[in-house]
Amino acid sequence: MRPFSPLYIPKVFFELLTSFPVTVLMLVGSVIFGSLLGFVLARAKISGGKISKILADAYIGVMRCTPPIVLLFIVYYGLPELLLSTAGIDINNVNKGVFVLVTYTLLYGATISEIMRSAYESVDKGQWEAAVSIGLSPFQAFYRIMLPQATAVALPNFCNLLINLMKDGALAFTIGLVDIMGRGSLIISRNFGAYALETYIALALIYWCLTLVIEKTFSVLEKSLLRGKRSLTE
Amino acid sequence: MELDVKFMIETFFQALSGIPVTLSITAVALIISTPVAFFMAVSKIYNIKIIKQLVSAYVSFIRGTPVVLQILIIYSLLPSLFNSIAKGIGWNINVFDINPIIYAYIVFSINTCAGLSEIFRSALLTVNKGQLEAALSIGMSAVQAYVRIIIPQALVTAIPNICNLTINLIKGTSLAFMMTVKDITAIAKIAASYGYNYIEAYLDILFIYIILCSLIQLLFSMLEKRFGSYKTLAGTTAGTK
Repeated sequence: MRPFSPLYIPKVFFELLTSFPVTVLMLVGSVIFGSLLGFVLARAKISGGKISKILADAYIGVMRCTPPIVLLFIVYYGLPELLLSTAGIDINNVNKGVFVLVTYTLLYGATISEIMRSAYESVDKGQWEAAVSIGLSPFQAFYRIMLPQATAVALPNFCNLLINLMKDGALAFTIGLVDIMGRGSLIISRNFGAYALETYIALALIYWCLTLVIEKTFSVLEKSLLRGKRSLTE
Repeated sequence: MELDVKFMIETFFQALSGIPVTLSITAVALIISTPVAFFMAVSKIYNIKIIKQLVSAYVSFIRGTPVVLQILIIYSLLPSLFNSIAKGIGWNINVFDINPIIYAYIVFSINTCAGLSEIFRSALLTVNKGQLEAALSIGMSAVQAYVRIIIPQALVTAIPNICNLTINLIKGTSLAFMMTVKDITAIAKIAASYGYNYIEAYLDILFIYIILCSLIQLLFSMLEKRFGSYKTLAGTTAGTK
């Protein structure tokens, strides 16, 4: 067995970081598009008709049961053929990031919609009625009264979601996206399989640090958002 | 886009033979990690010094790194480690004969332990401290108090979270094919590689996982009713009074 060489870890650490922007870009992109999809789904469940409610429920149920890697491959192999045969658009040469974005948008849109819905429903309905009764328009009542309170409730769940999204995003290297995971597997194959363990440990350290940063950020955010709430009860 | 329906149906039944592997990984991971996670949770609640810090670091590390990475680390570390240990003791076993499912058991147990310990901890904290004091005051031992009074109550709040964890675990086992374990994903993928029918194969896998997870959810909702029955009973009697 080749001896473990810890000195290789910092060396490869900085090389891996060159692909760090790709990872962050995928994360941010998926969250933005996923939130849009999640908002539509949550709206369908809260105030939609019967059919849209059932459809949203079915979609969320299916996505809850789908392993990320399976959906990733379905999108990667299926989407180009689907678009080619139905709309005649050839996307076989499109950047792989697009497939990753589509996958995680579909997958996490469902989770985000559940977070949004539970947060919205946790705010007392009386708040809305009070806001409308003093003359705010329904949009204003939602935007100024409901949204800030719901956001505070949603934050811990959203933090969890972000971390899970980042972890599942690590699977993107299986379709050949060069994020930090992809960079890692390139480095390993460049070394003919040597230093695999050292590279993986460096990757684990990067992901761990990223998670800790996300957690810290959200706990600070949460404190600042819940500030108003505490002063009310005291 | 045309789907090869005949291939899809054939592969579906072929891939069904991978379900026992998927379920066995899930079951073994849950069984191994339940007692370990319980003691981790208790040591965190009772503030046992060094162990508490170790558990916190372990949970944070597992929570902060992707499962793929854990699989790759274990799979590149353990075989050679086993080999050198076996050589050191003088055992004459070939490490490459070990069924790779062993590594899958290890990875997913390590992973589940972290999640389960947090679930147990939060569930134990929901039980009122007075319950433990009452149990001790009528002469139960600490173990009896836990087994008979605390755990049944904590279990009710823990079950939805355990359901979530189990579903995530089942979804996670789809990655076991990276360790050359022949589970649902691996079988369907191998079948697909003959004729490049990847979409059909992956849709098959998707269907199987949807069925599997729906069954698990159903099972847990029944369990929840069963364990939570004392609550609803108390509620109805209070209501009728």
